[in-house]
Amino acid sequence: MGMLSDLSQALAGAVEAAGGGVVRVDGRRRIPASGIVWSADGMVITAHHVVESDEEIRVGLPDGEMVPAELVGRDHTTDLALLRTEARDLSVPRWMETDELKVGHLVLALGRPGSSVLATMGIVSALDGAWRTPAGGMLDQYLQTDVVMYPGFSGGPLVDVEGRMIGLNTSGLLRGVSLTIGVKSLREVAEMLLTHGRVRRGYLGVGAQPVRLPAGAPSEVGLLLVSVESESPAEKGGLILGDVITGIEDDPVQTLDDLMAGLSGDRIGQPIRLTVLRGGVVTQISLIPGERPEWRPRWKRGSRN
Amino acid sequence: MEAWLEKLNGELAEVIRLARRSLVHIRTSRRGAGSATIVGGDGLLVTNAHVVNRREAEVTLGDGQTRPAHILAYDEAADLAAFKVEGEPLPAIGLGDSGSLQPGELVVALGDPWGIAGAATAGIVIGVGAEWPEMPPSGREWVIANLHLRPGNSGGPLINSRGDLVGINTMMTGPDVGVAIPAHVIHAFLQRSELEELAVMV
Repeated sequence: MGMLSDLSQALAGAVEAAGGGVVRVDGRRRIPASGIVWSADGMVITAHHVVESDEEIRVGLPDGEMVPAELVGRDHTTDLALLRTEARDLSVPRWMETDELKVGHLVLALGRPGSSVLATMGIVSALDGAWRTPAGGMLDQYLQTDVVMYPGFSGGPLVDVEGRMIGLNTSGLLRGVSLTIGVKSLREVAEMLLTHGRVRRGYLGVGAQPVRLPAGAPSEVGLLLVSVESESPAEKGGLILGDVITGIEDDPVQTLDDLMAGLSGDRIGQPIRLTVLRGGVVTQISLIPGERPEWRPRWKRGSRN
Repeated sequence: MEAWLEKLNGELAEVIRLARRSLVHIRTSRRGAGSATIVGGDGLLVTNAHVVNRREAEVTLGDGQTRPAHILAYDEAADLAAFKVEGEPLPAIGLGDSGSLQPGELVVALGDPWGIAGAATAGIVIGVGAEWPEMPPSGREWVIANLHLRPGNSGGPLINSRGDLVGINTMMTGPDVGVAIPAHVIHAFLQRSELEELAVMV
């Protein structure tokens, strides 16, 4: 049975090729989870939701050795965490650098909740452009598969049939769906975690909702402020209830995503100009965004993946 | 369809057709019923202890013919039982090398899920061994596979891409995860039951 055995060997070969870049992550009370070797000098990327505590984290290397790990940073909005270990000369995985992935391609999910690498198989179910996670993080692509997230697989890689890593799997972003965070977003978030220990996001301190504007307004849709926190950057800058934001610097604002995109980390502490419709009159308001307060974990609902 | 994909489909169907000849249905009482796997030309079959009682059984072959079978060995702790089917020799499946089974390898499980005779489900090996952080430690070895076992699959064969027996399907730990007793554990069971020489080794 030549071809069937060839396929079987190829799949097992892909698991073996990528398995050296998959580590075990002990960071929660229940079963351990998985992580991916991020650099040869001991950095490991994993899912934020599997690292319950900031301390006493341990990483199981592919050779079976357990080493202590320090939390470099975490970002709950993208469900990513970066760990640093003293391990050296780790085998860095080969990443898929092209966008050749298509719906229907065979893929493998790898994990190492114990000492050996485990695998499940599926296909790419959905592939789309950038999207915002329910927790407010921005990912460069939406990648959903039907791979079974075996217990402890969160934080492990999605791998193609050649053993190249496509991204990091997590069941913590959307309930009941196997999602993969692509390598481009992994690099962006890891870079920020390395620099700041967190993903910094600008903060105004307002609650807002999109509203259709009357004819004659500068745009069809804007963001109506329904709350302004006291002592917030918004209040200090002079924003009041009922204002409608239609622009941030030179970019139009029609959705909450537009506003979030305009409040990137590099704008913290820098004066920005908002275009606001107040009482039917377009005005410009200058204010200084703060930094969005850090999110504190509540570990009431654990995911077993 | 691409020619090679057609060939792959053909090979998969052929592996299943051959292995299915060694799959039988076994029944020992009104409630105890499941699948069983012929592993010796003399009518030696292996099944799970939990699907049979320690008594005479009746097996139903693929062609609908029924035959009596009598018990040879029963090991509740290992969840394995061996029977001998009376009458003409039956095609036996060879015991493969489960010790070298790797995660990612293709496997197919055969059995009678919900009473559907000879149904197949395919997937890959998730892992092999005794270390399963999500299961209570028991020291027992398992082949865990990414496929769909259902009640009635117990006792049926788990085969690799060459059609060799790598496990006996035993339970599921989720809708998409099947658990099988590895072939080398079955081999050890046959050995200590002094039935080893009756089985076919590959």
